[in-house]
Amino acid sequence: MSLLECREITKRFGALEALRRFSFSLEKGEILGLIGPNGSGKTTLFNVLAGIYRPDEGEVIFRGESISGMAPHLICRRGMAKASQMIRPFQEMSVLENLLVPGMYGGRLGLKQAREQAANVLNLVGLESLSEVPSREISLSQRRQLELGRVLMTGAELLLLDEIMAGLNPTEVEGALRLLEKIRGEGKTLILVEHVMQAIMKISERIVVLNHGEKIAEGKPEEVAQNPEVIQAYLGRPYA
Amino acid sequence: MILFLQSLINGILLGGIYAACAAGFSLAFGVMGVVNLSHGDFVMIGAFVTYWLFMLLGWDPFLTLPITLMVLFFLGLFLQKLTLNRIAGAPPIMSYLLTFGLHLVLSSLALRAWTADYRTLNPSYAGLNFNLFGLILPYSRLSTFSFALILIFGLYLILYRTEMGRAIRATAQDGEMARLLGIRIFKVYAVTFAISAAITGVAGSLVAQTFVVYPQMGLPFTVTAFCVVVLGGLGYVPGTLFGGVILGVFESLATTYLTAGLSLVLTFLLLLVMLILRPGGVFGKGALE
Amino acid sequence: MTARIASKALVVFLALVALLAVLPLLGLEGYRLRLLTLVFLWISLAGCWNFMSGYTGYIDFGPVAYFGAGAYATAILMIRLDLPFALSLALSGGVCALLSAMIGWATLRIRGAYFAIATFAAAEALKQISLEGDRVAGFEFFGGSHGLTLPPPPASEFFYYVLLAFMVLVVGISFFLEKTKFGYGLMAIRESEPSAELSGVPTLALKIKAYVLSSSLIGCLGGIEAYWLTYIIPDDVFNVMRTIQMVIMTLLGGMGTVWGPVIGAGFLTLVAEFLGAKFVYDYLTILGVVIIAVVLILPRGIMSLGKGKRGEAK
Repeated sequence: MSLLECREITKRFGALEALRRFSFSLEKGEILGLIGPNGSGKTTLFNVLAGIYRPDEGEVIFRGESISGMAPHLICRRGMAKASQMIRPFQEMSVLENLLVPGMYGGRLGLKQAREQAANVLNLVGLESLSEVPSREISLSQRRQLELGRVLMTGAELLLLDEIMAGLNPTEVEGALRLLEKIRGEGKTLILVEHVMQAIMKISERIVVLNHGEKIAEGKPEEVAQNPEVIQAYLGRPYA
Repeated sequence: MILFLQSLINGILLGGIYAACAAGFSLAFGVMGVVNLSHGDFVMIGAFVTYWLFMLLGWDPFLTLPITLMVLFFLGLFLQKLTLNRIAGAPPIMSYLLTFGLHLVLSSLALRAWTADYRTLNPSYAGLNFNLFGLILPYSRLSTFSFALILIFGLYLILYRTEMGRAIRATAQDGEMARLLGIRIFKVYAVTFAISAAITGVAGSLVAQTFVVYPQMGLPFTVTAFCVVVLGGLGYVPGTLFGGVILGVFESLATTYLTAGLSLVLTFLLLLVMLILRPGGVFGKGALE
Repeated sequence: MTARIASKALVVFLALVALLAVLPLLGLEGYRLRLLTLVFLWISLAGCWNFMSGYTGYIDFGPVAYFGAGAYATAILMIRLDLPFALSLALSGGVCALLSAMIGWATLRIRGAYFAIATFAAAEALKQISLEGDRVAGFEFFGGSHGLTLPPPPASEFFYYVLLAFMVLVVGISFFLEKTKFGYGLMAIRESEPSAELSGVPTLALKIKAYVLSSSLIGCLGGIEAYWLTYIIPDDVFNVMRTIQMVIMTLLGGMGTVWGPVIGAGFLTLVAEFLGAKFVYDYLTILGVVIIAVVLILPRGIMSLGKGKRGEAK
């Protein structure tokens, strides 16, 4: 049984079809990359998976259970969590305290256990020296690390990572990639949406390409990079 | 049957005014995300401007509409630049608290200046009616209704046929994008709020001809504007006309067939029902998040 | 606030409470006794309002709805059913809990603006029921604009101690709230609700719980005041001024903090008392200006001064 299965997901906003009969499946332990030009539906897909949107048609099956349209916090507790570049930290709280919330609620830990776990996660993502710092004072790349820490604290098995490398410099991107490998080593499954093409091509085992809400290609990164339709989607007809 | 139709007509005429009161509220919210809790006070100020011009100078309330428009436009501009501008982009809490503070200041200053007395506007045509098959249609209500429609249509024209209007709509849709396109967001905010105040002030002039005028009248109108907007859809300006009429008809029918005493209670229950069943308004186009 | 400073503040507070508890035995009475009782009442009210508005960030503009509902419920239970005060108070708290659960469920599912105005409308609606209910329904229940008269209360000292205890309860709840899972959940909602949801926080359930907690305790305070004053009318117990004062006291002191409502309420109650009722119009204007000034200059209230840096709008 696949860890995650999307069957013919369709999502409309008024007259606009953001996702159209989108299907794919994901196995445990995979790192899947999701790419496509702006407006192709990647963020919409993530929002459908995370429970923020309910699909108009189709189903999302996670661990054999249909979760389409379930509330975000319930999906999170069932083991699928989304990290996003748009999310602000809980600014009045310290870096460590930020991790207590996902630990206690998503991860169902007690306060004391959550504190211990938070310290571990901070070590993993490399923020242990900042644990008492108010989270509104940390830098952009540190925020990304914190956001990653947040989804880890939920105990989720499947992590949806939405453009978490946006705005990072090449060194930071390298660090992020190493971290993701470590996380996968802990038994997590990852889906990444990125515009940082090199990074996503490098780390993904499989790539799915979206354009105008439809899947136009799927396969190993090398194959997808050569696919004429994909090139056309990004660069336009003359380059195909 | 006659009673029902009369009640219905009264409700529709009332609804036009309610819609005019709410249009500015919806605009400010849709564009700036500001929930203006002092909104009703613009109605109040518009009503008083009209009242005093009539009482002191004898000028007809309809003729002084442009003056009210201007006075409130500049008042809105002034208040926006002085206070609201500073919290643009801050969390919504700030705008509720700030505009609540504004409400206290505006209504208590009005109370100080004009005392709590109830006042009514009585132009020469006040009591005259138009009689249609036994239904009574007061001239003043018909004309205020017409002006309310003109007002809303005017707002529509501004938003959809002028360049400033396009800028306003662009900002409402996506502030960041608008800024990148070269639109001066803060100027748009200022003008939007000023327009919102101006329209509401004119609505206040219309209100002055239908209702009693007194300094504390603002808050109930803020609540009314909010109800209209919940019905029509928050941020969806075209919906306010329908929202207003629905509210007006509801209140009118409730008053006629149930009881006048509990109209607030019934309106509140209507509000709750709408929030539970259809928070996006009757058309479902209101902003939810 | 670091844990050590927080505990020190608590110790100071408890010491003050012990002192206050002893004062009547040392001869405190009359006007001064009643003034302090009033301070305890307002600190409690502001503190309860803070549970919801300060910690979740959803501003409640209708807390007076429950103050009035509690007052009326207590009065009616004591007058018409001859129930003792303590029982009436407990039942009134339950009534308010039920009412707030319903209103909260309807209004907290969408953005804060709806909650803010709907709660205000609720207060006005309840006021109208108490004013017009009898006339419409045709029986003698709420007493209309004449209000209700309660059985004679015990001496002032009774209310002094009851409200002192209530104040300690409210401060205590706030203090421990900040250290529990529930408290963290509420603050997460305030700081970033989308992030909270994506972290597994059941936001609607938590918001409703905070609202019910806040409202039922405010209802009890209404019941206590009803018994204390002996005579209640709609315009008094449903007066929007109470909401305004709860808001401004907490805002001034510092929303979402334990001591903010204490400082704000204590300070403003004493100031209002000394300014007296003759400045009513100006008082409102001043309150409005204070609210505006605090939002623009010191959004985190007086408490943020203590932290040594200027509070900034986020």
